[in-house]
Amino acid sequence: MKTLKSLLVAILATMAFTSCTYNKLVEQEEVVAQKWADVQTQYQRRADLIPNLVNTVKGYAAHESETLEAVVAARTKATQITVNADDLTPEKLAEYQAAQGEVSQALGRLLAITEAYPDLKANEQFSELQAQLEGTENRIAEARRQYNEAVQTYNVSVRRFPNNIWAMIFGFDKKTPFAAEAGAEKAPEVQF
Amino acid sequence: MINNNMKTKLSHKASGKGSTFLSSTIYYFLFIISYLLFPTICRAATYTPDNLPIPYLQDKTKYVSNPDGLLSQTAVDSLNLWLGEMEAAHGVQTVLAVVERVEGGETYDFCMALGRKYGIGSKEQNTGLIILLSTGDRAYTILTGRGLEGTLPDAICKRIENRQMLPALREGDWDEAMLATVRAITRYVDGDPSLVGSSDFDDDDDTAALIVFLGMMVLAIGLIALGIWLDERKKSYCPSCHQHKMKKISSYTTKNKRLGIRTHHDTYRCAHCYFTKELHWDEDLHSGGGAAAAGGALGGSFFGGSGSSFSGGHFGGGSFGGGGASGRF
Repeated sequence: MKTLKSLLVAILATMAFTSCTYNKLVEQEEVVAQKWADVQTQYQRRADLIPNLVNTVKGYAAHESETLEAVVAARTKATQITVNADDLTPEKLAEYQAAQGEVSQALGRLLAITEAYPDLKANEQFSELQAQLEGTENRIAEARRQYNEAVQTYNVSVRRFPNNIWAMIFGFDKKTPFAAEAGAEKAPEVQF
Repeated sequence: MINNNMKTKLSHKASGKGSTFLSSTIYYFLFIISYLLFPTICRAATYTPDNLPIPYLQDKTKYVSNPDGLLSQTAVDSLNLWLGEMEAAHGVQTVLAVVERVEGGETYDFCMALGRKYGIGSKEQNTGLIILLSTGDRAYTILTGRGLEGTLPDAICKRIENRQMLPALREGDWDEAMLATVRAITRYVDGDPSLVGSSDFDDDDDTAALIVFLGMMVLAIGLIALGIWLDERKKSYCPSCHQHKMKKISSYTTKNKRLGIRTHHDTYRCAHCYFTKELHWDEDLHSGGGAAAAGGALGGSFFGGSGSSFSGGHFGGGSFGGGGASGRF
């Protein structure tokens, strides 16, 4: 009778412990999913800004069509790739990041050529569009930072003993953070 | 560096040239003095999010951080007044800082770190606002909290900077740059009816502080009463029959003038088993007011603590997503 009782207590304690761990993991996974949604929202926001920006630049620098088309093409390609939070595999994330990275590069080239058009730079609408673009890039950076933070918290929970046993049983996998952008580690060189 | 200097000093000493030795000693001392002074000079002019003074935390009517004195007192007073009205009417909590230099020279990064550190703006509305001007870096940033991005979109922040801030900055008129900026921001914030004022919260805050204070008073009185009661109970304890029935039947005092002590001799008798015990305790005649002094100190610390919580501001834990606009002049 006594063994039965202690066995029952042990089972109940384990169950309580497990449900606690399980709930925590679910909670943290939800945070990661939400932060990932934020990241995608900010990238989408940038994509929404591009047509307006391209049209404004076109009015002043129509013969830079090649650069302008490159931006539009990169945008079209990037908006076709969306990744669901459930299947954030390293490959999918890398693909997403590469597509968005192309947009960043195309935009960088576009902004570089605008330097040659003083009229365009003096245009208030362009200045404000540029500020919006800059703000969006900042938001993307912040969203990515927060996503990486959430992933790290989650990954630590999943790998820590004894959570890792329950994570294995219930199928909580490690999640992929953003890698640093290629070329982002070195500051751009300015030449006069 | 110090080691190098020491070496030169030693080598000169070995070569025995008196005058060189003297001058190198002077250089050595100059070096030490500059070494001691220089970091303080650097620290005074370059700020990190951690060492920027935030006067708001001590006094909730002070939104402006002006550690290098770049703004005039008149401008600071006006800015504090306007930003106070903005918080009361629309719940927009602002930190406005004008400094000589920020670490790294990037005002945007500085503002984000500052926002993250203090959580400026209420958690419900997320309407924090940071305005930073670094005159030495010739850079500025208006950073909007997540809940303020609709009222002050990036383009509007940029427009305010271009139209209001920049002309004054080019003239080197920091006062006018900040005044014009805050005036313009106030217009946009006033025009947004969705923002809820914080004046109601403030009253709640003060009431809460008062309740906490009264609660602590009651607790303190209760503890003192409990102490007295326990003391009496200890005195009434009978070691023979273990009942609390001892009563004081007689008492007299003797005085030792040399030591300044009055000794009380109390006799207790148990009403149950008639066991008697004697208690002797000394009273120090010189510091008879000890208990009263302790009580005074206690009261003082209570009042001091509540005083700061009445006037100091606190940040609500708002978050920043990177909205706003930055620029250089």
